[in-house]
Amino acid sequence: MAALPNHNRAMFWRIVRRLLFAHRARLFVILLALGAGAAVTGALLNLQADAKRRLTSEFRRFGPNVLVLPMASAAENPAMLPESILRSIPLENANSKVEAASSLYTVVRISSAPSKSPVTAVLVGKTPFAFVRALDGARAAPRDVAPDSRDEYPCVVGERLRQRLQAREGTQLRLSAGESAGSCWVAGFQQRGGPEDDRIAMDLRAAQNLAGLPGLISAVELTVPGTPKQIEEYAAYLQRILPQAEVRPLRQFTEAQGKIYSRIAGLLDFTVALVLLLTSLCVMAAMANVAAERRNDVGLMKAIGGAKRRVLRLFLAEAALLGAAGGVIGAAAGIALSMYLGKAVFGLAARPRLIVYPESVALTMMVAILSAFPLRRLANVRPASVFRGES
Amino acid sequence: MFFRLVSDSFTRRPRRKLLTGAALALGMAVATAALSVSLDVGDKLAREFRALGANLVVTPQDDSLPLEIGGADYRAANAAAYLPESDLPRMKTVFWRNNILAFAPVLETSAQAWSPASKTGSSPGVAAQVSVIGTWVRHEVALADGGKFVTGIAKTNPWWQIQGRWFSEDANECVVGVNFARRNRVKPGDLVFLHGREKGKQGVAQRVTGILSTGGPEDDAIMVPLSLAQALAGKAGEYHKLYVSALTKPEDDFARRDPKTMNADEFERWSCSPYVSSIAYSIQQVLPGSEVRVIRRVAEGEGAILTRVRILLWLVTVAALLAAALAVGASSAASVLERRTEIGVMKALGAGSAKVGLLLAAEQLLLAFVGGGVGYSLGLILARILGERVFGAAPEPSFLVLVAVLALAACVTLLGSALPLRRAAQYEPAPILRGE
Repeated sequence: MAALPNHNRAMFWRIVRRLLFAHRARLFVILLALGAGAAVTGALLNLQADAKRRLTSEFRRFGPNVLVLPMASAAENPAMLPESILRSIPLENANSKVEAASSLYTVVRISSAPSKSPVTAVLVGKTPFAFVRALDGARAAPRDVAPDSRDEYPCVVGERLRQRLQAREGTQLRLSAGESAGSCWVAGFQQRGGPEDDRIAMDLRAAQNLAGLPGLISAVELTVPGTPKQIEEYAAYLQRILPQAEVRPLRQFTEAQGKIYSRIAGLLDFTVALVLLLTSLCVMAAMANVAAERRNDVGLMKAIGGAKRRVLRLFLAEAALLGAAGGVIGAAAGIALSMYLGKAVFGLAARPRLIVYPESVALTMMVAILSAFPLRRLANVRPASVFRGES
Repeated sequence: MFFRLVSDSFTRRPRRKLLTGAALALGMAVATAALSVSLDVGDKLAREFRALGANLVVTPQDDSLPLEIGGADYRAANAAAYLPESDLPRMKTVFWRNNILAFAPVLETSAQAWSPASKTGSSPGVAAQVSVIGTWVRHEVALADGGKFVTGIAKTNPWWQIQGRWFSEDANECVVGVNFARRNRVKPGDLVFLHGREKGKQGVAQRVTGILSTGGPEDDAIMVPLSLAQALAGKAGEYHKLYVSALTKPEDDFARRDPKTMNADEFERWSCSPYVSSIAYSIQQVLPGSEVRVIRRVAEGEGAILTRVRILLWLVTVAALLAAALAVGASSAASVLERRTEIGVMKALGAGSAKVGLLLAAEQLLLAFVGGGVGYSLGLILARILGERVFGAAPEPSFLVLVAVLALAACVTLLGSALPLRRAAQYEPAPILRGE
């Protein structure tokens, strides 16, 4: 275009403007179709980016996904890890915090006043010592139980163990492991359907004192944020820097996460492609009418010396402008919409991702230019036949 | 004359009508696909997302508390209780039998394992006590009604990865955990000898068919057919734990109530909803002496995610419907806008606004029904592709969707043409005919 003289360029844009505004109702209709397409594209693309992030955090609900265990040893003597191993675990992955909880497992004999005979169970010492009160499946907000001013420690009893002990909230329990002994009071119960139901949990320090294993732990449970691939990479890295331990990614939940995300992404991609195709067909239908109307104009342009390429360039500019206008308005509306939709789906407004905006505008412009295809046929109009009134 | 005018407008410029019709058909195809997928696949979604594995676990009621640390049980031998394997076909007699997708009994025992392959390496020929887990892989359960139900651990724990293949239950085959394989240098095709607890018995030779990686204690164990584990443990016809994968409805507040506090009506409603807790209750009824527990970590997380994915699916449907409606409405508006001259001629010849409107509306409706019908069939194909690719289940064609799509097509085209038609009614014929 730089080759064109100045007044020619002004003329070019004047013609484009006239072409666009010649028929306001039709302009509105085409913009509506393009805008709707752009809005849906923008909304779904933004939601897709957001769904990945949300699902990642949604899956943290499932709890720890990487375990650090001591190397397997003889079965009679469970192996231990030094507590200092926590210091060598990097606590960041994919720009989010890795949550780490260390635990100590030991077998204790528990006796309580209501049950006559002592019960042998696994004692879990945990830090940070938080638990969910989940008796009868009723869920409540997690409650932190800090070792309080009483001499005894609070402990949480699994549902199946509770039945054996016939314990109630506040019941005193005597725990003994080998020669050492201690006591705790029941602060709550838990029923999770897992091994927790058979165990008694208390603060790590208290458990270490009781078991006579100061400074030792049996496992570190890590809740690692990120996509399944990022989690695998983190686990592999951890294994490299901790050769003395065994790092075990718990695949049950990470695999499901990958599966569900790919389903959602596939659904959204498919919908975006369909909607764009639909938009382009609608615009094409409108453009076919435009083409029929402009036969005379193009005949005249060519008669007074308009080259084929310049005529086409006019229409190209028109289509690109239409696409840009529809895209800019539609995609903005779509992203705003997706923030609202994100709130409906994931309970939190979706964060707008800036890259989605130019992406959707570009896609809409492409659709607009492609659907101006019927106008191409005008380039072959022969001025003479137009002026003779042939159709 | 009326019908001639209508048919004329279709035959005179077929290409242009074809484009408008194609846009309409595609729009309705999108609507059909979106509607059928979310109406039908929504229910099948839960089945697909059972990738999380078992959500119920059955254990003997009078089992002593397991003292399990890191996969090793520190209980004294024979302290555990067992359940009879012969009760298992009753699993498919509960009210929610079709929701029970898979179950697999498990019996853990320990044995001396010895592999000739490991003798050549630096490691000793005798691997110490290993945990041996017996289970079903593709087990046929004969049901009371004469049918057969094929189930096994690969269905209840779908995230387990196996390198090689699973053992077949009637051959002397086994699968070894990845850590065990690495420590003892066992490869698929090697033999592993197992000696049970009972003294004086000959060890059984099992051919390794695969290496199992689970991320759990199974990585250190040997998996064998259930019958072999029963023989090794001396517990013929018994199992210790049963994993059940059931299709459930996400729990709400009502589902979390204790069934003992409900009155008869409420109890009926509760047991007639596929809540995980009511399925657990009904399994407990048919397996005497059992304790059925919900694996909360799986059940709750799955419920939350399923709810979210369902809402997402509906939102996408609404978005697709909206886009289809807008685009189709726009293109039918455009097609009326082009008819200015024609309308002018008709009015000059004495046609009233109502008549012109009726003519154009008839045309649009005809286009809507033809386009909607074509779009519906196209949409069914789309829904099939989408359903199979994305959700692994194709939706059934539904008459309801056809009615909804045709109604939508008619509404959208009429609404789209209403605005330009109202303006057309105000046209003065003279300026139009003069070409102004």
